[in-house]
Amino acid sequence: MSGVERALGLLRNLPRVSLSNLKPLPGSRYKRKQRIGQSGGRKCGRGNKGQGQRNTLPRIGFEGGSTPFYLLIPHEPYYRGIHARRQYPPLSLLQLQRLIDLNMVDVNEPIDLTTLCNTKVFQVNTRKQQYGVNLTDEGADIFEARVHLEVQWTNEQTIAAVEKNGGMILTRFYDPDCINAMQDPAAFFKKGRPIPRCKLPPIDALRYYSDANNRGYLADPEKIREARIILAQKYGYALPDISEDPHFEMLMRRKDPRQIWFGLEPGWVVNVKDKVILKPTDEMLKEVLQVIIAGTITDFSSNSASKVFIMLTVQKVELFEEHLCRRWSHLCIFQ
Amino acid sequence: MIPGSIINVCVRHLPLLRSSCVVFRTAQCSIMTSAVRLQQTPDGMIPEMPIAAVDTEMPAVVRPPLPLMTSRTIAFPPPNTPPKQAWLESLATIDDEKLGLIDLHPDIFATFPRIDLLFWNTFWQKIYKHIDYSFVFNRMELRGGGHKPWAQKGTGRARHGSIRSPLWIRGGKTFGPRGPKSYFYMLSKMDRANGLRSALSIKYAQDNLHIVDSLDLPTDEPDYLRELVESRGWGLSCLFVDDTDIVPRNIALATDRIKPYNVMPVYGLNVYSLLKHETLVLTLPALEKIEEKLLLQMHKADHREKKFSRFST
Repeated sequence: MSGVERALGLLRNLPRVSLSNLKPLPGSRYKRKQRIGQSGGRKCGRGNKGQGQRNTLPRIGFEGGSTPFYLLIPHEPYYRGIHARRQYPPLSLLQLQRLIDLNMVDVNEPIDLTTLCNTKVFQVNTRKQQYGVNLTDEGADIFEARVHLEVQWTNEQTIAAVEKNGGMILTRFYDPDCINAMQDPAAFFKKGRPIPRCKLPPIDALRYYSDANNRGYLADPEKIREARIILAQKYGYALPDISEDPHFEMLMRRKDPRQIWFGLEPGWVVNVKDKVILKPTDEMLKEVLQVIIAGTITDFSSNSASKVFIMLTVQKVELFEEHLCRRWSHLCIFQ
Repeated sequence: MIPGSIINVCVRHLPLLRSSCVVFRTAQCSIMTSAVRLQQTPDGMIPEMPIAAVDTEMPAVVRPPLPLMTSRTIAFPPPNTPPKQAWLESLATIDDEKLGLIDLHPDIFATFPRIDLLFWNTFWQKIYKHIDYSFVFNRMELRGGGHKPWAQKGTGRARHGSIRSPLWIRGGKTFGPRGPKSYFYMLSKMDRANGLRSALSIKYAQDNLHIVDSLDLPTDEPDYLRELVESRGWGLSCLFVDDTDIVPRNIALATDRIKPYNVMPVYGLNVYSLLKHETLVLTLPALEKIEEKLLLQMHKADHREKKFSRFST
């Protein structure tokens, strides 16, 4: 019997509730009288005589004549907000080459964060503000694999080392929710949550990911093609023709900016136990999930007007995210 | 008090007022009663009406076979709580004939009885209109006291500078009441709605809630209503609630002459009146409206009230 039923059942056997037998909860009506200080209000919490009572205490930080702490320690403004900055734990080309040589990574499939995390050699912790992998150029001289890479941060030498061997490299942003899903998909599927829709990069990362020189996933593919040629000329190697590669289709595969795994779309639920994929059937939900902003593929670094546009779309997308969450909380209509 | 001019108008149009089925009521007594009293001759007789208006014959009750209804669809039913049930009754006959059985929303008629909220609701209803006019002069506002009553030294008496000092009899008051002081505040909307739900739940739990099809009485005689209420064991006082503020003529006349029986529209429903009367009688449309309004209030998203906030501009 619930508390409500018990209370109403009690009332049945009690006298009629009327104006004469109401009472507030005990202790709710009057405040307890304030008790003033240990000395009964005489010293007002300021102690007995001296600087404390006369308000002539030395300035804050004064250490009685010795060089104070705040003058002794040098000023390091570049560490401001370091706890909140995005971190990209490094992985070198040398390590990657080793993983490939030990058959821990299959070069005939696209290599993304999930592939790297599955080796258990590389790990990402979103609690430490880590947003994925930074592929560094250590071992660029001995790197000889032809790979399709998707990393979160990299530099020019690394890009050159990968493209020299006929590979493809792309920098791609994932939000922490997606990173969590990608680093351990088995655990994620076990939770029964729908696959998250990847968010667009934050404003300060937008320039990086829409720059063709960084092979950003939001950059214009035409400009990326040009940048590959320019980089080859800069480092003095002949760019291999990937169209003759037997794995050409694999190399040209691209994820949608909202997608985190090939072949799976946001909103789907993967049931590993029963080996089924559950897809939403609700029309409105589908509509929301299909929001792929028309502008995301084009180049946003070129003019300022399009920057404004993408800022607007980011806001709009946030709205959609909210809407999506609400829909999820109410609807569980699946096949 | 009713302004005299209105009564004069009433006296002039008394036949019309009587014949119409609409009676307007005020807090003290209806205009109707006042007008009748004014028209009485010294020997207490009411003069002959030029228009014979009152139908004294009891109309035959014609209705479809019983039960009229055995269930009622409630809006937004809670998933795991079954609805409460109540008889549908009628005021058309003195004996308690059950017209049917209806469902009541458990969130309105079976919520936790918050006695403390009932207290705060009634407290607020009493206090928000109260204005404290008490006022006492301080030493500056009193007359006189400007000069020193006697010299500072040499008289052997205590030192005093003014005869209106608060130490003196007939002196000023230091921290006296400085009226008029308003005690107005608004109880939060949530608390008001919750208070109503608690009161309705208590009325239902203690068998003091009755649902009727309408407030139509066969006669305007107060004795009929009194007999009905007594025979059904509805207690000493009754509150009849309808969804509109235009009540049928018969019940208006009948309740007007019995003080503890009162009629009220849904928009006037309040915790104080609910608790003041022993029995609550709701009509079906009133029930619908009460449930709709309280459910809306329960599930609305405006938690923050700004209108009567102390800091609002």
